[in-house]
Amino acid sequence: MPIMDQGYQHWTGRLAGHRWRWLAVARQGIRVSMRTRYVRYVLFAAWAPALTLSCLLAMWGLLERKSSLVSTFVSFMAFMNPGVVAAPLHYRVDVWRLAYGYFMHTELYFSMVVILLIGPNLISQDLRVNALPLYFSRPLRRSDYFLGKFGVIVFFLAMVMIAPAIVAYILGLLFSLDITIVPQTIGILFAAVVYGAVIAICAGTLMLALSALTRNSRYVALLWLGVWFIGGIGSGVLEHVHQHQLRFDARQWMVKHRSRQPQGSQAPNGFGMPPNEQNGWRLYRQRYEALREADATRDWRSLASYTGDLARIGQQLLQTNEAWRSIGKLLPPGPHRQRVLARYLGPRYPWYWAAGVLACVLGICLWILHRSIRTMDRLK
Amino acid sequence: MSDGRGEPLFELAGITKQYGALTALSDLSLSVPSGAIGLLGPNGSGKTTMIRTLLGLIRPNSGSGQVLGLNIAHHALDIRRQVGFAPEDECLFPGVTGIEFVAYAGELVGMPATDAMQRAHEVLDYTGLGEVRYRKVESYSAGMKQRLKLAGAIVHDPQLLILDEPTNGMDPAGREDILRLAADLAHNKGMSLIFSSHLLPDVEAVCHYIVVLGNGRLLLQGPISELKQARANCYEVRLKQPSEAFNQRLTAAGCALAVRGELLAVKLPEGAAMAMVWQAAAESQSQIRHLRPQRSTLEEVFLNALEPH
Repeated sequence: MPIMDQGYQHWTGRLAGHRWRWLAVARQGIRVSMRTRYVRYVLFAAWAPALTLSCLLAMWGLLERKSSLVSTFVSFMAFMNPGVVAAPLHYRVDVWRLAYGYFMHTELYFSMVVILLIGPNLISQDLRVNALPLYFSRPLRRSDYFLGKFGVIVFFLAMVMIAPAIVAYILGLLFSLDITIVPQTIGILFAAVVYGAVIAICAGTLMLALSALTRNSRYVALLWLGVWFIGGIGSGVLEHVHQHQLRFDARQWMVKHRSRQPQGSQAPNGFGMPPNEQNGWRLYRQRYEALREADATRDWRSLASYTGDLARIGQQLLQTNEAWRSIGKLLPPGPHRQRVLARYLGPRYPWYWAAGVLACVLGICLWILHRSIRTMDRLK
Repeated sequence: MSDGRGEPLFELAGITKQYGALTALSDLSLSVPSGAIGLLGPNGSGKTTMIRTLLGLIRPNSGSGQVLGLNIAHHALDIRRQVGFAPEDECLFPGVTGIEFVAYAGELVGMPATDAMQRAHEVLDYTGLGEVRYRKVESYSAGMKQRLKLAGAIVHDPQLLILDEPTNGMDPAGREDILRLAADLAHNKGMSLIFSSHLLPDVEAVCHYIVVLGNGRLLLQGPISELKQARANCYEVRLKQPSEAFNQRLTAAGCALAVRGELLAVKLPEGAAMAMVWQAAAESQSQIRHLRPQRSTLEEVFLNALEPH
C-alpha cells in the first residue's frame, strides 16, 4: 500500500493514569513467555502434583464420611498408621498439612524450572536489544518496569503453586461435605498462599537481579542453575561431613565409655569400622541419634541451599513437623518413635535463620537491580 | 523567543548538565515556538542531552524548563504522555511482531489494549508498513525499523513528536518517505515536531525553525526564512537559454559569476546596481526568466553559527 494512502487520523480516546502502567509490561511479558512451548509443557506438568493432592484430599473426605467408595482404597493405605485411618476426623488437619507440605515442596522445584524458562530473558533481552530507551521515554517509572517484569514471574508462579493449591482445597471441601473443615483448614490454604508469595518474592527478585547483570540470557540461566544446584550440592556436602563428624564423635564416646567398663568387655575396633558387638552397636547408635537430636535445632548447614531455605519457610508456615509429631504420638514413646520421627521430620533449625538468609539475598538483589538499570543518563 | 503563535513549545532557563568533568549543556536558555523545529549541532553538541532533558529523563544540575506548559522537573510523566519520541539508537521490544510492537508502545502510554491495537493498524498503514507488520521486528531492515519507531511514537497521537536522527542509515527512497511523513505530520496534522539531524537538507525539507547547539550552548535560533539573509549585490539569474555572450558582458563589467545548475550566481562590483544584469541581457538578446537576490544557504548559516566569534 502506498505510503500515506490511509492518511492520519487523530485519536480521541483517553489515556489511563500512571497507577496501573506496570500491568502493560506484565501482560506483554506473559504473552511473550506463553509462546514458548516448554513453558506451556511445564505449566501443564505442574498440575500433576495438584491432581494428586486433590485426589488425596478427596479420598480423605470420603474416608471421613466412611463412604463405600473409598473402602476398596483402605487397603492401599496400609503404609499409614492404622490409628490414623481409623480416626480420619481426628487427624484431618495433620493429614491436610502433610499433603500440602508435600505438594508445595514438589511445586517448589516446578517453580524453579518455570523461573529458569521465563526469567533469563526478562531484563537481559531488553538490555541486548536496547529496549530500555523505548520503555523509559514513555510515561513509565523504573519501579513500573520492575514491577511489570516481576508480575510476569508472579503470574507463572501463581499458576504453578497458588492456583492449584486453591483448586485442590475447593475439591477437598466438596468431597468432605463437612462445614467444620473450613475453620480447621483455611489456615493451611492461607499458609500455602503466603508460602507461594514468599517464593515468588524471593526467587522472582533473584532472577530479575541475575537477568539485569548481563545481556546474555544463557549466562543468566547458568547463574540460576548455579544458585540452585551449587547451593544444594554445597549444602549436601556440608551435611555429609557433619554426619561423618557425629559418627566419629559417637565412636569416640564409645571408646571412652568402654575404657571405663570392667575388663573383658570389647572396645570398638577403630574409626570407620562399626562395632561388631551387639550391645556396643546399640549404644553407638543411641549415642549417634542423641548427638543428632541435640544438634538438630542448631544445624545451620542446610542454609547453604537456596531451595532448602525456601523449603524451611514453607515447612514452618505449613507446620508439617508439628503434624508429624502429632501423628507420631500413635507410636509408643521411646527410641523407636524418635527414630521414626527423625526420619520424617524436616530441618529443625530456627526458621528465622532461613528467613535471614533469604532477606540478605533479597537485599543484594534489590541493590543489583537499583544499580543495573540506570536512568537514561547512562544509557547508550 | 516565541513567534507569537501562542504558548511556546518548550522553554529552558539556565539548564546545565554535567557528566563528571564533561559539561553536556552549559547554562542553556531558549524558548521555542510550536511548529516544526530543527535541532542542529555537531556531534557532542548536546542535542540528545537536551532532548532527554525535555522528556524529563535526566535531571539537570541546575536550571528549569517547561514543555507544552508542563514543568520538566515535576511533570516528567505527564510530558511523556503528550510526547512521542523515536530514539536515534536501534532499539526494539524483543520477540514481537511489528503490530504488537506498536500496540505495546500504545499500551505503555496508557491506551486501552483494544484501542492500541486498532490504532497500531492505522499508524502502520500511515507509515507504509503493510504485511510486514506480522513479521518479527528482529527481521526488519533499517528503514522498516525507523518507520516502526515512528509508528510507535505517534500511536497515541502526541502533541509533540521528537525524532532523533530519523534518517540515519536509510536508503534515499526510505529517507524521502520519512521526511514526507515528518513534514506531513508537522504541517498538515497539527503535530509539533523536534527534528534532530546532522543532515541539513533533511532539516530544511521538514522544519521552518532551527535551533543550533554547540558545546552545550545555544549558538543560533530562529525561523529558517529569516536566518537565510539576502546577500548584498549577489543575485541568482536563470535565462531561457544559457548564453555565453551574456556571461561575457557581465564578466567584462566586473561581475563574478558562478554556475550552479541552471542558475547563475552573479556578484556585482561595488556600487553597481541590478540594472547592470538587465542591460547585459538586453545587449546579448537573452531572456531572463528568474532574477532575485541571492540568499545564504542553511549550510552557510549553520557553519557561520559554528564559527567562533
